[in-house]
Amino acid sequence: MILVVLEHDGQRLRKGALEAISRARQIGALGAIAGVVIGENTQAVAQEAAQYLPTVYAAEVGSYTPEKWAEAAYAAAQKSGAKVVVATGGRQSRTWTARLAYKMKAGLLEDTLETSTDGQHIIGVRYSFLNRVTEKQKAALPVVFTAKPNTTPLAEPADSSGVVEALEVSLPPTVEVLERLSEQKKGVSLTEATVVVTGGRGLGNPEAFAGVEELASTLGAAVGATRAVVDAGWRPYSEQVGQTGKTVQPNLYIALAVSGAVQHQAGMNKSKYIVAVNKDAEAPIFKIADYGIVGDVHQVLPALIDAAKKLKD
Amino acid sequence: MKFVAVIRQVPDGESRLKIEGGKVDLGGVTMILDQMDEWAVEEVIRLQEKHGGESVVVALGPERFEEAIRTALAMGIDRAIHLVAEGYLDPISQAEALAEVIRAEAPTLVFTGGQQADWDSQALGPALAEALSWPVVSWTTQIELEGETQAKAKHDLDEGAEVVRVGLPAVFTSQQGLNEPRYPTLPGIMKAKRKELKKVPVSASSKVEILEQTIQEKSRLNKMIDGKDPVAAAHELVRLLHEEAKVI
Ligand SMILES: Cc1cc2nc3c(=O)[nH]c(=O)nc-3n(C[C@H](O)[C@H](O)[C@H](O)COP(=O)(O)OP(=O)(O)OC[C@H]3O[C@@H](n4cnc5c(N)ncnc54)[C@H](O)[C@@H]3O)c2cc1C
Repeated sequence: MILVVLEHDGQRLRKGALEAISRARQIGALGAIAGVVIGENTQAVAQEAAQYLPTVYAAEVGSYTPEKWAEAAYAAAQKSGAKVVVATGGRQSRTWTARLAYKMKAGLLEDTLETSTDGQHIIGVRYSFLNRVTEKQKAALPVVFTAKPNTTPLAEPADSSGVVEALEVSLPPTVEVLERLSEQKKGVSLTEATVVVTGGRGLGNPEAFAGVEELASTLGAAVGATRAVVDAGWRPYSEQVGQTGKTVQPNLYIALAVSGAVQHQAGMNKSKYIVAVNKDAEAPIFKIADYGIVGDVHQVLPALIDAAKKLKD
Repeated sequence: MKFVAVIRQVPDGESRLKIEGGKVDLGGVTMILDQMDEWAVEEVIRLQEKHGGESVVVALGPERFEEAIRTALAMGIDRAIHLVAEGYLDPISQAEALAEVIRAEAPTLVFTGGQQADWDSQALGPALAEALSWPVVSWTTQIELEGETQAKAKHDLDEGAEVVRVGLPAVFTSQQGLNEPRYPTLPGIMKAKRKELKKVPVSASSKVEILEQTIQEKSRLNKMIDGKDPVAAAHELVRLLHEEAKVI
């Protein structure tokens, strides 16, 4: 039996949930697949999930804490007899899945790019060493694994609709959420964008980001930032790319006045094409760039905006 | 009060990695205290400075970890426990071994890094919390004690952040913005040599096996354009992106 923990936004399943279902189907030789929806408004979301899976549990446990999510997933795994639990990657899920793996005495494969089974084990491929190494791992059942977002085709609905079952979970009180601070969202989402334009400290001041935004909107791109820029308060943390920010893998990544520190590379080095503009020909970013312009960003960026606009006209 | 930091030693991100026999070979690589663990060490020292009591580091790893442990002691940690184990041990199995020692220490709270710079794992903190049946607050950017049994903390989520109140003891993992770690001073380094470092051999088996590691550094085109004439350079770049790479 395989259990998929389905991510949702309180209304609908997220794309990650459909990727996780695809991952579960890929190891379908291990048995039937059940799903669980954890959180708030779970009944409605579980109805949607039942289009994909024969059995979906709805665990109404309120707002997110890792303790509640781990306990609810554990209850669903026990009820369904699952030997494998699949979830979407991400900060929150990589927290509670670690708790769950401990409860299940399971091997944990985090943020896998792909997964397969030989009937006894799960074999997973993932990045390690700040995204520099590709690693193949193997763990004997039971196994908990998370699927890195944007790695797997979205699942199609099944032929017949499944059943929804409420799941009771008893929860110890632990963390009390006092306040939730949401990110302001505008433009294209950074992690899903096919083009990302990132500005670094070499831009000199926050005003210079007007140019970054203009180039981004011309190319239909998302704006990214380095930590130096975020620390300086020029841009919000939600735009930070890197080890402690977001990981992106667009077709095109344009780094403007970014030095290319390893911690920044950890968030963007898998991009298909990398472009760098830097006045220092020795900047580390050029070592991983496909195209580079050695020059002053204050001269090159306006010219780039012009050239891009001409192309789009 | 007693504050524990769980630390690891990892390769410096700047150093070149080699693959030998299908595995990463760390011979010749500069090893450092994981920078995210450094934030944890700094926070534990600050909590001790503010609230008194004791600070302890606990590490589980090979003999070579001693260097990273000495760095933490030189920063100002009081004493250390080193669980010595060679070879790969997955974070869930590590949590099991660490929990025993930490339970015996009965600290007010435990701090560790948000993500490991070698295995890119985020699991150790939460798995340790589970092993201890404590709550976990991951990717912490702010923490404030409210007496001995409660703390208020701010931490990052997938999107945005939240402020939580949590009963102690609890496990926290670090995130950028938490603090700026201090450098060990020369007197600090001298003192660290005399601080207690207890070694405990550990034998545990890993639930996860690493089959193969490769460095697939995508070969990059490295086409450089001179930017002395910015307009010409910009046009050439846009042309290449459109016609050659076909990404715009
Ligand atoms: C544990 C840890 C985690 C971290 N996580 C992240 C992370 O997630 N993301 C991240 O980005 N960083 C992260 N960092 C920080 C990282 O090490 C670097 O400090 C940071 O990425 C540098 O940002 P930058 O390139 O904008 O600035 P700088 O390093 O200051 O580089 C600015 C660049 O701009 C160039 N320049 C200056 N003027 C001009 C001009 N007029 N025209 C063209 N070029 C110009 C310079 O030559 C230079 O290369 C982390 C660090 C640590 C320790």
